[in-house]
Amino acid sequence: MSEIFRLEDVTFTHPGTTRKVLNKMNLTIEGGSRDAVLGMNGAGKTTLFYTLTGVYKPQEGTVYNHGEPVDYTRAGLQNLRSDVAVILQNPDEQIFCSLVEEDVAFGPLNLGLDRDEVERRVSKALRDVRMTPYARRPLQQLSGGQRKRVAIAGALAMNPKIMIMDEPTAGLDPQASMEVMELAEKLHLQGVTVLISTHDIDIIYKWADTSSILYNGKIEYSGPAEGFYSDPETVYRCGLLTPSIFNMNRDICAIDGMDVDPYPRNCCEFTAKFGNPKESGRLVCVAAEEETAAERYEEVMKDLKGVQTGVYGSDVRYALTDNGIDFRFDAMDMCFTDAVRGKDSVLFYDSIYTPTIKEQADKLRKIGFDVDLEVI
Amino acid sequence: MATLLEADNITFSYDKKGPKVMDGMSMKIEEGKKTAIMGCNGAGKSTLFSLLNALRKPDSGKVLFRDKPLTYRHKDIIKMRSEVSILFQNPNDMMFKPYVEQDVAFGPENMKLPKEEIEERVQESLFAVGMEEYRKTPIMKLSYGQRKRVTLAGVLAMRPSVIIMDEPTAGLDPQMAYEVMEIAEQMHSSGVTVIMASHDTDLTYSWADELRVLYGGKCMYAGEPEPFYSDFESVQKAGLLLPTVFMMNRTLADLGKGSLEPYPRAQSQMALKTAQHKDVDLGVLHVIKAERDTDIKAIIDDYQLGGMPTGVYGMSARMALRATSTDVDFLYNGPENCTMKCLNGQDSVLICDPLMFDKAVTSAMFINEHGFGKINIDVV
Repeated sequence: MSEIFRLEDVTFTHPGTTRKVLNKMNLTIEGGSRDAVLGMNGAGKTTLFYTLTGVYKPQEGTVYNHGEPVDYTRAGLQNLRSDVAVILQNPDEQIFCSLVEEDVAFGPLNLGLDRDEVERRVSKALRDVRMTPYARRPLQQLSGGQRKRVAIAGALAMNPKIMIMDEPTAGLDPQASMEVMELAEKLHLQGVTVLISTHDIDIIYKWADTSSILYNGKIEYSGPAEGFYSDPETVYRCGLLTPSIFNMNRDICAIDGMDVDPYPRNCCEFTAKFGNPKESGRLVCVAAEEETAAERYEEVMKDLKGVQTGVYGSDVRYALTDNGIDFRFDAMDMCFTDAVRGKDSVLFYDSIYTPTIKEQADKLRKIGFDVDLEVI
Repeated sequence: MATLLEADNITFSYDKKGPKVMDGMSMKIEEGKKTAIMGCNGAGKSTLFSLLNALRKPDSGKVLFRDKPLTYRHKDIIKMRSEVSILFQNPNDMMFKPYVEQDVAFGPENMKLPKEEIEERVQESLFAVGMEEYRKTPIMKLSYGQRKRVTLAGVLAMRPSVIIMDEPTAGLDPQMAYEVMEIAEQMHSSGVTVIMASHDTDLTYSWADELRVLYGGKCMYAGEPEPFYSDFESVQKAGLLLPTVFMMNRTLADLGKGSLEPYPRAQSQMALKTAQHKDVDLGVLHVIKAERDTDIKAIIDDYQLGGMPTGVYGMSARMALRATSTDVDFLYNGPENCTMKCLNGQDSVLICDPLMFDKAVTSAMFINEHGFGKINIDVV
């Protein structure tokens, strides 16, 4: 893994104030990991992000990007920012144009891309956030959650190497939140470094490999989430909470004399660990592309009439909208959970997610449950 | 129960050519209940609230308050709004004055209350949201979360009979989210009807008595949460997902580990329902019912409760706590934190507003009543 960002004793104070929002902060962000940044309001998360993108220049300490100190000249910053996209918590702060498609095109046009490429990226990004029907609508007519999706589309259209998402699911409905996490996973698999800050501890616990905890302008902890959550006093002091599934696992294991490790992080892992599952249901996994999804669906479902179906990933979801899919959202966990309870299902997914499917099956095996998984 | 607020076949659109945001919306809100309103982005939750509060007028159909259709006469509207308060999602949409205390006093002043009464309400409301020290602070200087608390204080100062909260926890860190939920529970305990729109499926599931689901400008479901979540097709159509504990409980029931009912709604309930050993020693939950003037320190000494993990819950308990110099471990989410300590075999102490007692022991009672374990509840 390569180092993407490194902060060395970084201190930042907003002009005209005295509080050090970042106070000798040290942090390394590695490429290719799923990173979460957690902390209470005012802990310095947003300031950290602005520091990473060069918007704020620290008074002390150094920010390194790919091993080089950030160059705060105009050209240097432009260079840095062509790699990094940021989704702000409040979408209204990053909406520049009046029409949806114009707004999403704003970033790519600034990159100097040609019209066709811009158009291609805009339509793909809008589709990924399910806002295609709103392309020609004025932004003021959209709800808060819809504007958030437009802001996300704008960041996706930049094809960044580093994606910083500040509260990406706040204000989104549950299905849209799941889609955003799916997108984050897709970016991760494409090699983009994804950094998510959120207050939704339960959602992020399912996804992140590394959690960095901010407190009082410093990094209180950085590593796998469990190492932090196992110390309730510190969690509490940092103004955070432990994920409910982490708590339940701890309590049940204490009462029943079981080992807390492996830690379940979602429903299929929890029920596999505590439900004494017997025979696995058959889980047929079908990797597809947007163009091939409909055809594959026909082909696979011929022999599997009446079996429950799920989609994971925006390409297959889009291609199979009219196919009467049973689980259109959160389908990976739904289908694996069905396997745990002995029910058959078929999961169609964008082929890029193959490693994620394998990872899920491996995790269940570690818990002691072998999924009857068939990849076709 | 009496119907307090009602939407009767409402249609509404923002402009004549635009889509109908409300399209035959009918819904009843019962007095004294906790009602969660859910629906996907753009389903019309915020629009519905502005209609219920007479900020907008429906194109057709009626809004009824205490069975009477709204008249939209200025005088009636002012009176109605003193009873039906909205806490908007974005606090910046509802701050009217430059200083904190002025902003909180704004509503009561409009109600033409006597000066002393306004002063008392401002003081109490700011205490309830933990913003007393900021009385004289300019609102400009406050953070988002602090502004949210000030607007909540403004709503409290109106002493409404209905409070409508639009995404009250969005953008708040977990600690503040629990503080807001505690205030909502406090209001409910004192007889206020609480309506909450939220996208947090797990939060609303653990909180709500009643669920209303909006879809396509209509109310597609009204009733208790479980029947709705048992119909997965409708859940999906509405843009929602299953609450985590609901999905876990159903899967475990399918695997023959326990029955579907009783439905656990909180993590401690789910954990104890799942654990095999029902006879293991759990801790004792000591609950100190504290009025404002209760000497907590003396009680803790008399009953030898010092040194145990201690939480606080509810307004009078917080006031009593302030008067003493007692250390508390859990300043927020007291009931669940103390119950969790009991699950881990530790005794704990919860200093609790007597009005909030039932809410504080919900999880412990659930566990005890269904034989999932035994938490001794010792009321001091």
